[in-house]
Parts: sequence; C-alpha cells; structure tokens
Amino acid sequence: MKKIQNKYKIITNESLCPKYWRMVFDAPQIAAEVKPGQFVHIRTDEEGLQPFFRRPFSVFRAQKYVEIFYAVVGRGTKLLSLKKKGDSIDVLGPLGTPFIYPPESTKQVVMIAGGIGVAPMLILSDVLKKKKCALFLLYGARSREFVYPMTEFKDNGVKVHVATEDGSVGLKGRISILFDKIDWTVKDTFIYTCGPNPMLKAVQTFAGKQGIAGQVACEAIMACGLGACQGCSIETTSGYKTVCHDGPAFNLDEVIFH
Amino acid sequence: MLFKNPVTVASGTFGHSERYYDLEEVKRLGAIVPKTVTFHPQTGNPPVRIVETASGMINAIGIENPGIDAFIADKLPALKSIRVPLIISISGKDEEQWVGIIEKLNTQEGITAVELNLSCPNLKNKVLVAQDAQATMQLVKQMKALSKFPIIAKLSPNVTDIAQIAQAAEDGGADAVSLVNTFQAMAIDVKTRRSRIGNITGGLSGPAIRPIAVYMVRRVAASVKIPVIGMGGIMNAQDALEFLIAGATMVAVGTANFINPRAPLDVLEGIEAFMKENKIDDINEIIGSLKV
Repeated sequence: MKKIQNKYKIITNESLCPKYWRMVFDAPQIAAEVKPGQFVHIRTDEEGLQPFFRRPFSVFRAQKYVEIFYAVVGRGTKLLSLKKKGDSIDVLGPLGTPFIYPPESTKQVVMIAGGIGVAPMLILSDVLKKKKCALFLLYGARSREFVYPMTEFKDNGVKVHVATEDGSVGLKGRISILFDKIDWTVKDTFIYTCGPNPMLKAVQTFAGKQGIAGQVACEAIMACGLGACQGCSIETTSGYKTVCHDGPAFNLDEVIFH
Repeated sequence: MLFKNPVTVASGTFGHSERYYDLEEVKRLGAIVPKTVTFHPQTGNPPVRIVETASGMINAIGIENPGIDAFIADKLPALKSIRVPLIISISGKDEEQWVGIIEKLNTQEGITAVELNLSCPNLKNKVLVAQDAQATMQLVKQMKALSKFPIIAKLSPNVTDIAQIAQAAEDGGADAVSLVNTFQAMAIDVKTRRSRIGNITGGLSGPAIRPIAVYMVRRVAASVKIPVIGMGGIMNAQDALEFLIAGATMVAVGTANFINPRAPLDVLEGIEAFMKENKIDDINEIIGSLKV
C-alpha cells in the first residue's frame, strides 16, 4: 500500500454537543496532504468484523492534527466514540476528489450544511478565509442537541446562521428559511453544500433558479473507498459516478437526487 | 500456467492501482484479475449497489465496465506495465459476444490466462451457464478452441452439485477452474419492506461464505484433475491456508480488499511465515494435504 493506510494515535475524542463527537488524531501525512471535501476511511472494529466495512468521515480540520466530526448512529461510530486518548486507529486516507475552489472573482461563499453535513465545511473555511470573499454558513439541524458552538467558524470570519426544526436554537424551521439571510443578488456568489439528500435537492433547485454555481459533497454507503468496487455509485448527468473516487465533491448541478 | 506464488485477487475487487497502491508491492502478487469485461460497455445497476451484512456484503454492481474495446485500448496497457501475470475475466451475453471478446483478446500479448465468468445468462435454458453442466462444457470447449490463452472457468456456487459443473468444465478442456463466485442473496429493510439493494437481489461475499466455499473447493479438488483456484471470504493467511489444504493450488483475495487494501500481501506474507515456521519449502506440501 502507498502510505495511505496507517495506524494513528488519538489525541482527543470528545463529544462537542449531545449528538456530535470530534476525534483528533496525529496523522502528519494526512494533515499535509488532505484537501477540503476529502475523507478518511476508518476501520472501527479492528479485532472483529462488526461492522464489516470501514466508515468514511469527511476531514473536519487538518492543522497540526487531523480532526473528524461524527455522530454516533450505529455500532461502528459507537466503537469509535469509545476510543480513548492514546489509542490507535486504522485509517485509510486522504481519499476522494476534493472540492474545487470558487473562481477568483467570487465575492461571497455560502456554505449550506444540514446536520453532520457541516463536517467538510470547517476545513473549507480554513482555506477560504485567506481569499477575499465574504463567508457564510447556513446550518440546519433537528434541535439544540445537534448544534455545537461553532466557534472555529466564527474565528474564521464566517457569518453563521442557524435554524432548528423545533426552534430550540436560531430560527424555527428547515434550512431553507435561512436563504433569506443571504443577499443572492451579489454577483459571483458560490455555494458549497452537504447534508441529507432532500436538503441537497432543495439547495440544488434554489441555486438553479438563482443561476448560482456551487459544489456538493455527497454521501453513500461505501465499501472500499478507492473506486475499486463501484458500490457507492450515484446518478449524475453524465452517468453513474463513485462517491469515493469521482466524488465526494461534485458540481452542484451535476448530481441527480431522488 | 506457472505463477511465482499462489496469491491473487478476485475479479472486481482491485482497482485504481496507480493512485492508491505501492506498485512495488503489487508486483509481489502471483497474478492480478481485473474486473470482468463484457463485449459492450455496461453502466451497471442503479444504486443502492452494496449492503453490509453479518461478516460480509451483498453486491449488485452489474459489471460496470467500459467494454472490451475500451478495456484493450485504455486499461490493458497500464495493467501490463505492472508486470504481474494478468488473468482477464470476461463475460458474454450470447455466443457471438463470447467469440467476439476472445477474438479481440487474441490480438493482444502479455495475458497469462482468460477467466470465463460463467455467471452469465444461458439464453437457451433461462438459467446461468454456470448452472448448466452441458452449457458449461460447450462454452468452455468453444472458448478453448478459439483462445490462444489458457482458459479458466469461474464457477457459481448457486448449483446443486458444483463438482458436476467443474467436471463439465474439465471435459470442455478448461485449464483450471476458479470458485466460488458470490451466493445469491438479499437483505430487506423491515421499515420500508423494500430490498436494501437497488437490484432487489445481489451476491453475498466475505467471511460469511467462507466455510461453504472451503467445502466446495474440497469437493471440486477431489473431482477434477485440473488446478483449482479457491476463493470465498479469505481475510488472512489462515483462511487462505484452509483453501490450500482443501486442494486449491492458488487462492484469490476478494472482498477483503475493501476492508484492507493490503490484504493480498498480508495473506502472502502470512503463508510465507507459516511455511517458514513449519519448515515447509514447497507449497505443494500444503496443497490438498487435508487429513481425513
């Protein structure tokens, strides 16, 4: 294997809010190479085979260490959450096609994230803050339990707007009610989005009507993560493409959501 | 056919070698089997194409591939440049396609063998060729007569008696048989009452099928004289040794590649360590050494 499969030491592993966790591990090689939108593929059960597949995680941040942001939803992520400082994890990465950056002329970038879909946005803002454009994050979640302080975004100069379905934080409703917070008449706006498919479809439709270009980070059940098994293919305007190798980042208008 | 070691990869489980693999390491494999190539390009099945199951997975990828012409033009040169024996897996929908693929491959050099993926439709009997001994014999015979490369018949486990099909392949003149392909399977989402696979059914692979695959390899090895390539859920050297002891002369690592891309090399190194530990110089001392 090229040096993309390795065991790395965990620096911290903690919950940031009731539903989401952050794991930080010492992987200088990944930290040096990874680009926003790429992911790491983690074997959560190294001894047994439950779960059988690795689990893909967007890289949340890569500075000195590599960070992932995850929700505990099944056995794999449960096992991940039980890992302690000093433990090691088996990581394959960085994998996948990263986000492309907005054109130089871009005046504002709007990141639209639902739930755990916020994961690839922090590392993106780490890069984009060096460019001369205004940064916004529209964040939609079910309730307070799914909203973490987002101080890192604010430190990057990102203007954050939150909506929750129960109104416990920010505006009450789905993420689309936050669209009013943005002046879409600003020329050269660029969108990045990640989240559940119905949300992505809504964002795609909205962006299409406004004539705004963007990128989307997609999710799929994945086996190999290397483009070998072709198991994670999704439908695009140019046929089936693998999320793991051709994506996760695609042009927003390219993916066909069902 | 002679290989420098008995470890290869199963068709459809190894890809994008230039981007992800250390080619010096790949060169240590006994052979490489790229994903099955069909006559025409195939776009594959609608998602969802894979589902994780207990110690395994179900897949219904639909043999997504560029077709034989594009394979020869775009993929084969890079595969040849790795300088590992190549076993090209092919599948046709009818006689014309099978013949067409073989004729196109015959124009090429640097191929070690051709593997016939017999889990393809048998138009006459509405079953797979691999499920019909007569059809298997006839197809293998025809391909053997045409092909300038040795012929390997890849068998399906979805039959009553796999030894009978293996014998038919041997009678047709196959140089080797490889087994097993995946087991027909499905998984249902109880909430939606829909299949968890877009294609409704798929093929089960991974360690879940290994004991059945070992049994089938044992049965086939006892029934034919040609070499047997064994596969089915091999995750490590211990698993591979089971197949060798059962009578396989070569083993293929498949689904394990998805969990551990270095699995074929781990298997190879593990077999070497086992031989050293047990002071075995010749792999033939292990092959078919099952004590009963």
